[in-house]
Amino acid sequence: MPAVPHIELRNLSRRLPSGGRSLTILDEVELTIERGEFVAVLGPSGSGKSTLLALMAGLDRPSQGEVLLNGKAIHDLSEDQLARLRLQEIGFVFQSFQLLGNLTARENVLLPLELAGVRDADQRVADLLKNVGLGQRGHHYPSQLSGGEQQRVAVARAFACHPPLLLADEPTGNLDSATGSLLLELLMDLRRRHGTTLVLVTHDAAVASSADRRIFLRDGRLDRQETDETEIAPLEPPSPLDPAKPLSPVAG
Amino acid sequence: MSPKVYLRALLRESRGSRGRLLFFIACLAVGVAAVVAVSALAASLEAAIRSEARQLLAADLKVSGRQPLPTELDAFLQSKEGVERTDLKELVTIVAAQATEEEVTSGTAAPSQLVELKVVEEAYPFFGEIEVHPAATLSSLLHRGVVVAPDLLTRLGLAVGDPLRIGSANFQISGTVLSEPDRISFNLTMGPRVFLSAQAFDQTGLETFGSRIGYRALLKLPEGTTQKLLKSFAEDLEASLPNAAYYNVETYTEAQPAMRQGLRQVERFLALVALVALLTGGIGVAQTVRAWLAGRLQAIAILKCLGMRPREVLTLYLGQTTLLGAAGSLAGGALGLMVPQVAPILLGDLIPASAVSSWQPLALFQGVALGIGIAIIFSVPPLLALLRVPPVRVLRHQAESLPANRRANWAAAALLLLGIALASLVQTRSPWLAAQFTGGVIVVTAVLMAVAAGTIRLVGRLPRDLGRPWLRYGLANLGRPGSATTGAIVALGLGVMVVLAMSLVETHLSHQLRADLPEDSPTGFLVDIQQDQWEGVQNLLQQQEAKAVDSVPVVMARLSSIDGTSIQKLAEENPEDRDRRWALTREQRLTYLDELGDDNEVVEGALWSDPTLAEVSVETEFAKELGIGIGSRLGFDIQGVPLELAVTSLRTVRWETFRINFFLVVEPGVLDTAPQFRVAAARLPRDREQSFQDLLSAQYPNITLLRIREILEKIAGVLGRLGVGVRFLGGFTVLAGLAILAGAVSAGASRRGREVALLKTLGLTRIGVLAAFTVEYACLGLAAGIIGAAAGGVLAWAVVTQGMEIDWVFLPKPFFFTILGSAALTALAGNAASLRALAQRPITVLRRQDS
Repeated sequence: MPAVPHIELRNLSRRLPSGGRSLTILDEVELTIERGEFVAVLGPSGSGKSTLLALMAGLDRPSQGEVLLNGKAIHDLSEDQLARLRLQEIGFVFQSFQLLGNLTARENVLLPLELAGVRDADQRVADLLKNVGLGQRGHHYPSQLSGGEQQRVAVARAFACHPPLLLADEPTGNLDSATGSLLLELLMDLRRRHGTTLVLVTHDAAVASSADRRIFLRDGRLDRQETDETEIAPLEPPSPLDPAKPLSPVAG
Repeated sequence: MSPKVYLRALLRESRGSRGRLLFFIACLAVGVAAVVAVSALAASLEAAIRSEARQLLAADLKVSGRQPLPTELDAFLQSKEGVERTDLKELVTIVAAQATEEEVTSGTAAPSQLVELKVVEEAYPFFGEIEVHPAATLSSLLHRGVVVAPDLLTRLGLAVGDPLRIGSANFQISGTVLSEPDRISFNLTMGPRVFLSAQAFDQTGLETFGSRIGYRALLKLPEGTTQKLLKSFAEDLEASLPNAAYYNVETYTEAQPAMRQGLRQVERFLALVALVALLTGGIGVAQTVRAWLAGRLQAIAILKCLGMRPREVLTLYLGQTTLLGAAGSLAGGALGLMVPQVAPILLGDLIPASAVSSWQPLALFQGVALGIGIAIIFSVPPLLALLRVPPVRVLRHQAESLPANRRANWAAAALLLLGIALASLVQTRSPWLAAQFTGGVIVVTAVLMAVAAGTIRLVGRLPRDLGRPWLRYGLANLGRPGSATTGAIVALGLGVMVVLAMSLVETHLSHQLRADLPEDSPTGFLVDIQQDQWEGVQNLLQQQEAKAVDSVPVVMARLSSIDGTSIQKLAEENPEDRDRRWALTREQRLTYLDELGDDNEVVEGALWSDPTLAEVSVETEFAKELGIGIGSRLGFDIQGVPLELAVTSLRTVRWETFRINFFLVVEPGVLDTAPQFRVAAARLPRDREQSFQDLLSAQYPNITLLRIREILEKIAGVLGRLGVGVRFLGGFTVLAGLAILAGAVSAGASRRGREVALLKTLGLTRIGVLAAFTVEYACLGLAAGIIGAAAGGVLAWAVVTQGMEIDWVFLPKPFFFTILGSAALTALAGNAASLRALAQRPITVLRRQDS
């Protein structure tokens, strides 16, 4: 019996009202991501990369189609259920860091652990901050840290609950190239250690080159995808779902 | 979230917002201060009455009645050991200085004055101190003469040692009384106090037929009598009295029930005024929360993205507002506890300074609890907006909001309504009053909101080409879409409404009381005229150019039964109903008339319609109090002679004509031979009142003249001082309104800072920017002033014409000054809150915007 894919997007569309009209951001996207896979999503500005990420995380709701996480549909969960799902299943790293300005670096990392009710949270935070090279900076507020340091705090926070899935939206976009490379190395290292599935949105080909698979979006549609071995174009249709196959419950 | 995690998150979340939420605290603190002030003052007075209850009664137990106390009381007390007794008599009469030779030769009389006479024995008072001058005991001074209030000396131009005529006897004034334990200064008094001994009183000849004397026996029980024993003693005593219903037995443990009831009524009214200030503060809270959340949207999105459930975020922020509510309420509570200290200054001698004590934990608790409650119910509606913050905002700043949760919105609205109703119930302790108040608040707020929104829209459409850039900018700012000015206008308008309405009602009332009486109404009543004195009194009235002289005979009687049931039994049926008990057991004054005056109207039955019955006509309200109607039979005891009368008509009386009127009018012929005296009413020219009183007092010392103008003046004086207190409280509402405005201005500070920078860059000077702001805020204050004044006018009109039935006079001045004051105060407060934005250099602000 084949393993349930980590993420499945079926016929996924997202339209936004714009002025009086409806603007299509994503258009009938079909995508499957396996557990432990590292997928880079590429495409020009406005091609729908971030929206794709938002839909995978249940941050946004599709206008049409389905999002399956561990084989279970998440697009019709309540906001409360989605929040819990993110807490247990998904880590985030954003281009603009998105740290809470009124919390110190340590408290930013601690927050998801506290929400999840983790016991040895303080020790884990200390280890995480040490791992990202900020062992001594935990008491600083985000405004007292450089951009690279802030993003490292964000990475530590993203891994705090050991999420099986990490979603990163242009994590190096606001960093200079040297800092960006260092951060990427850190991310890769942590991913390998935890066996995390990583979906990374970028428009930097160099960043994408280390991914297992690269997906190209254009005008809201999957344009093509490639792996290190082969270049697949056009996109293969997804294998039909076996109706007899049981859905695995959301882990956690 | 575990409680520990919640608490930690709560403390952390409050870090960023402490400074900005100062206005939250300020709005709430002002309202709570008003609530605590009222309840602390009331509690303080109530505590003073309770703790000094024995002094206020001057005894453990008091028996009082309008007729001499029965011999059964003596018998009862003789059977008890160790009980001390002292008797008092109280009456209102006119005293006069001794006529000088000059006055005697010129035929005028010495100056006279209406006084409250108190006849005491040596043992008085059992408890409490009576302070006299020169320093001595009261009884030693009374051996030598009479002791009077200093006020009387001033009015009659007398000094200690001078003679004073009381009734038909002259006494030497042997001293002055400065304070007495059982006379409370916040009661309305008829005149200055005069003390005299029982022996001296016998010489005055004032205790004649028809004179209105209050008889009291003060009792002191043996040391160590418990309150329980005292109570059973009082019950035994009451049981031993024949016709006990006609006497009032009061122990010190009851602590002046009538006075406390009066106090509670005043408190109830003031508590509602204070609640308006608190609710205005609530509007401020809602507005501050809204502005606060607007700056926290990103943080909320991050929290949701990290896995915090929407309702956890809501609880977190609700926790914040509760904490802030507690801080604001405690600050306000502390402030409120200080207010009673200034009350004696504001209210003059209405409240003795000694009765005020600051530490009132219950009042503080009530105020703080109400404050926190109001903070919560007013924060929930704006906080619901955070349920709509989309977590996807972390990726897309312009993401549209999540759909509104209708059920939550309805629940929040219901919570708000219920909360206001509950708060008014706490403040009034009367469900009916609370319901009325809640309804009123909702209607008034809705109307103010609609008008405020309309005004802003109107300003937005005004032509702006007025030649001055600052004028255009100021007006444009007021009418800008999405400006938070509606809330500020409503809150300020509420404040203006309360203050103006209070002041208008008070002005009308005191104007009505001070205005000269209607042309045809009397200005004085003469009571206790003996039948043989009437002719002489009539001559005197004529001499003094009295008009509209009217006089009727009066027969004193007691109601003994209604439809065969004894009054004693009826009075016992419902001992708590004081009004009914009073109606049943009072000394009934009967008159007999052929025809009724034109201020009487028979509304049921017909006057003297049954030749076979001895008939009586009863005033409708009094009939209601007695629980009788047409056909009821009233048994009377007239100086020992029984008489039964049938009720054949009910009538209404227009009491405001001030003419002589009676609850009970008897058919002519029935009472002709009963012992009787006369009362008279007459209209005297204002400048003749005193000389008439002087002459009357010289010739007929037993007759008392009640001067209506003087009494009304006194009431107006008391109301005036109460009015100061009420307006002081109303001022808190205005203050809350100003705090809200400052909060709204400050919430928009960064936007304003950018605009100021831009305006300065474009060449507008600092004065020019200040002028623009002044135009904006003054217009806002003007709008709030006009709306509030209109609402206040309508409210006052309703109270004055419907509630008090006084003619409404439009007084433009208070309206004008209120509106002007509102504009000026608002401009001042608004500019003060914009100072920071004004002071910044343009380059700093513009650079910040770029980064």
